[in-house]
Amino acid sequence: MANIAAKRIKREFKEVMKSEEVADGTLKLELVNNSWTELKGQIAGPSETPYEGGKFILEIKVPETYPFNPPKIRFLTRIWHPNVSSVTGAICLDILKDQWAAALTLRTVLLSIQALLSAAEPNDPQDAVVAKQYRENIELFHLTAQHWTNVYAGGPNVILDFVQKVQMLTDMGVDENQARVALSTFDWELERATEQLFS
Amino acid sequence: MGFDIKRFQGDVDEELICPICSGVLEDPLQAPACEHAFCRACITEWISRQPTCPVDRQAVTASQLRPVPRILRNLLSRLCTSCDNAPHGCNAVLKLDSLASHLVDCEYNPKRLMPCEAGCGLVIPKDELAEHNCVRELRVLIASQQGKLTDYQQELTEQRLIINEHKRELALLKEFMRAMRVSNPAMRALADQMEREEVVRWASSLARARVTRWGGMISTPDDVLQVMMIKRSLSESGCPSHIIDDLMENCHERRWPPGLSSLETRQNNRRLYEKYVCKRVPGKQAVLVLQCDNTHVDEHMMVEPGLVMIFAHGIE
Repeated sequence: MANIAAKRIKREFKEVMKSEEVADGTLKLELVNNSWTELKGQIAGPSETPYEGGKFILEIKVPETYPFNPPKIRFLTRIWHPNVSSVTGAICLDILKDQWAAALTLRTVLLSIQALLSAAEPNDPQDAVVAKQYRENIELFHLTAQHWTNVYAGGPNVILDFVQKVQMLTDMGVDENQARVALSTFDWELERATEQLFS
Repeated sequence: MGFDIKRFQGDVDEELICPICSGVLEDPLQAPACEHAFCRACITEWISRQPTCPVDRQAVTASQLRPVPRILRNLLSRLCTSCDNAPHGCNAVLKLDSLASHLVDCEYNPKRLMPCEAGCGLVIPKDELAEHNCVRELRVLIASQQGKLTDYQQELTEQRLIINEHKRELALLKEFMRAMRVSNPAMRALADQMEREEVVRWASSLARARVTRWGGMISTPDDVLQVMMIKRSLSESGCPSHIIDDLMENCHERRWPPGLSSLETRQNNRRLYEKYVCKRVPGKQAVLVLQCDNTHVDEHMMVEPGLVMIFAHGIE
């Protein structure tokens, strides 16, 4: 790995560790290997959002050309958000693409991702299905996002109705995650979800 | 790329850190409007990818980058840093602005040139000294010089060929001129001049000789034994053919000028001998006193085209 990238990441790692966000538990960062090329981050769901109370884990890959190119970051924790793929965890955020600037750091990038959870951009979606629900039925979107946060990120709000619907499908032999994706996609209408799953 | 911050004594102000490499600014440049500063190498690399300020994304091109203000440069130059060769044992602590001059002759520099003390006399980087093998290195040197020598020899052979070619051509031209000079007075003057110049050239190619004992002069040399030997030697030294016979004639006192022609006149003019500019006849106890070398000598002591004096001994 290029010397400059390793040097920067080491320094940024320390910066994150000393930050108040780590002290108050909003951010976490750990190394995956000793070569400073891969890290694991964790952000807390912001308050007054459906993600509140959840802990979201991020995969951070540092390219050899860092900081001239942005780090590659995606959600490892599944999340229901217009700018994050519900399938792969890929994030649509301008600073991770063409708006990357060399002076940005792991800390500022993690905080930007956290801010993205508070302020979705449904007009520049990574996941069209989620974005459509966000635009057309914001209350249902909130509940779905809360449910996903509860199931995958350890959030506190159990949406009983959704849990039961998922249970019904899993009782029919459907994989739990597939059942949840289908139901979320079809606005929790059991019939349409079932139709799609068994067609 | 900037200097590693760990090399510096005490805290380094955040303003002196390059936002790209996170090291202490090295040869910094700043963006024109926002005045954000970066290492030259870092910002050049960034702008080649994206023409914006890496901090605030304002548009910036490479030609717009400016040197940073003197105050910033002064703050940087005052920072105290360890030497690049600290891992190799250098304990020096230097101001950043004197680091470069220190590095040039830091004795801990593993690449510093050192003479080999085992006797081969080669100069090699310090870290290669342990692996250094005089015989091997010298063999490499010999091989490369052998190669050069071969090249030179080849060139020499080619040059000789060319010279011989020229000599042949020259001889032909001379022949041609000899034929012409009889009928054409201008050609005669030209040919005479060329002959004079040839004599001068030959004279200047001969070594100076010093006569330590003028008394050893042989005024009536033996034709066969002495004169023929001298003639061969002169011919080998490149004596122009048009004067060689005259010169050989001038070995004998009967052809010498009035001032030398008898024992008596020689006795009288002995003190004038030291004025002669003498040239060595290679390998012989004899000197040439050529007219072209001795225009300063009295007329009664000189003849055309010069004298040959044979000695029993005493030539240096």
